[in-house]
Amino acid sequence: MSFVSKVLRSKPVIWTLIVLPGLWPAWPLFVTMDDTARTDPLKFILLHFGLMGCLLLVSVLSLTPLRVLAPKWDVALALNRHRRLIGVAAFAYALLHFSVQVLYQYDGTLAGTLDQLGRELQKPFQLTGLVALVILLVLAITSLHALVRRLGGRTWKRIHRLAYVAAALVAYHQVSAHKVFPIQVLWIFGPLVVLELARMWKSRTKVSEIGPDDTKSL
Amino acid sequence: MLIRSPKDWELPESAATPERDYLLRPRSSEPSFPRRDFLKAFGYGAAGFAAAALLPRRLAATTAGFPTRINPAYRDPALEPTAYEQITSYNNFYEFGTDKADPKVRANRGWQTEPWTVEIGGLIRNPLKLDANDLVSKMGGCEQRVYRFRCVEAWSMVIPWDGFPLAKLVKLADPKPEAKFVTFTTVHDPRNIPGQRSGILDWPYVEGLRLDEANHELAFIATGIYGRPIPNQNGAPLRLVVPWKYGFKCGKSLVKIDFVARQPRNTWQIMAPDEYGFYANVNPNVDHPRWSQASERVIGAGGLFGGRQRTLMFNGYEKQVAGLYQGMDLKRNY
Repeated sequence: MSFVSKVLRSKPVIWTLIVLPGLWPAWPLFVTMDDTARTDPLKFILLHFGLMGCLLLVSVLSLTPLRVLAPKWDVALALNRHRRLIGVAAFAYALLHFSVQVLYQYDGTLAGTLDQLGRELQKPFQLTGLVALVILLVLAITSLHALVRRLGGRTWKRIHRLAYVAAALVAYHQVSAHKVFPIQVLWIFGPLVVLELARMWKSRTKVSEIGPDDTKSL
Repeated sequence: MLIRSPKDWELPESAATPERDYLLRPRSSEPSFPRRDFLKAFGYGAAGFAAAALLPRRLAATTAGFPTRINPAYRDPALEPTAYEQITSYNNFYEFGTDKADPKVRANRGWQTEPWTVEIGGLIRNPLKLDANDLVSKMGGCEQRVYRFRCVEAWSMVIPWDGFPLAKLVKLADPKPEAKFVTFTTVHDPRNIPGQRSGILDWPYVEGLRLDEANHELAFIATGIYGRPIPNQNGAPLRLVVPWKYGFKCGKSLVKIDFVARQPRNTWQIMAPDEYGFYANVNPNVDHPRWSQASERVIGAGGLFGGRQRTLMFNGYEKQVAGLYQGMDLKRNY
């Protein structure tokens, strides 16, 4: 077993990798005192949490295809041990992102803030974000040990396929947040799409190798 | 016992001019002296040029007309100007990148805004092509006005602009009767402007106004901010300012002002006609398809985590400009 995979098997390492980048806005806001970041600090934090949630969601979805495509690669196997942790972390960042968004819309009064949030949620841009958040919430709750057992593997798996719907919604959400098409969306979601296509291609060739006729004769 | 009797030339504190009536200056420690004043002080000799070469590059914009005169008619004491650092560090200038931090860095990497030639043409009796500094002199120098600035992205600032009323330029151009609109074209120089090497927008950036809008007393050409030459990232050396419209109407780094007969198509309208129109008047009742315009984030207000306020019709200039749009359906003409 390689050194890298040994390190990646460790839970504290993964926790650090999840939490530390989330704290990054403190650096430009309080240490280097970056004028651009400090001009609208809440927006800066809002966007950062959104990006973190996005990256973690893409990461966790990449783990299964990675394992299927490289079943003997110890790094992929090590990372696959943390699927639940990374998935729940994606939800946690999405929730933080949403909470900061509520704060961002706060205008000093509850009524005004709710009115503003209500107006925003009528737009597909904001609505897709909220639906994705709700999906991630459902996935986080159903990741509790007791619930996994109660639901049974099949149902659990079916529910957790919703993660792909969430990813598609998040990609749309991210594109909508910009006035011109943001290239970053391609480098965030592109690799996941490639991995998924490769996995589908691989499992298809496997099925055809056995073939329906072969299974009959078995 | 010594009793101090005031001399008759000593004025009481109450006679002092309130601070807000002074010319607004940035609250930063950076020295601020326009290059022309400096040159004047030293003469235009070799010493002057040598000294000019030592000056920071970001001062190299239009420098005629400084120091500015305050125009008290456009100084609403209720408006608290946004900090200079925020106005000059948070910019949408896609010619230099789509991130708000990009223009401050990339527009100051050798892109020259002095000398600068601007062309005024089209359906006018006095077409001319002249240096930006000469234009400012022709306009009678600069005045400072404090305007609200509302971005289509639902954030706002309050900016002390220095410059001259656009109406003066229109008068100089002397439009023919068939001129009904004015277009404002931003510089196109892909070699020195990195963003223009990619096709994110249809370069050059073009904006337009109806002639009566251009002649409105609020329409302004800015050559400075806070009593200093306008920094490159804010659209040096000549920038259109139309305070009752969304910020994207305020074309930056203008090289051409054309008087035309038909309504032009502005860059964002070409890009996404269902999202950005020709008028782009600030209107809390007409949303952007992707976000609400009912309220806005006030940059720099309420401490580090900011404030939010209701957006005002025509950005608070309803009394002055509503007449321009009488009988128009503002939902259709967004």
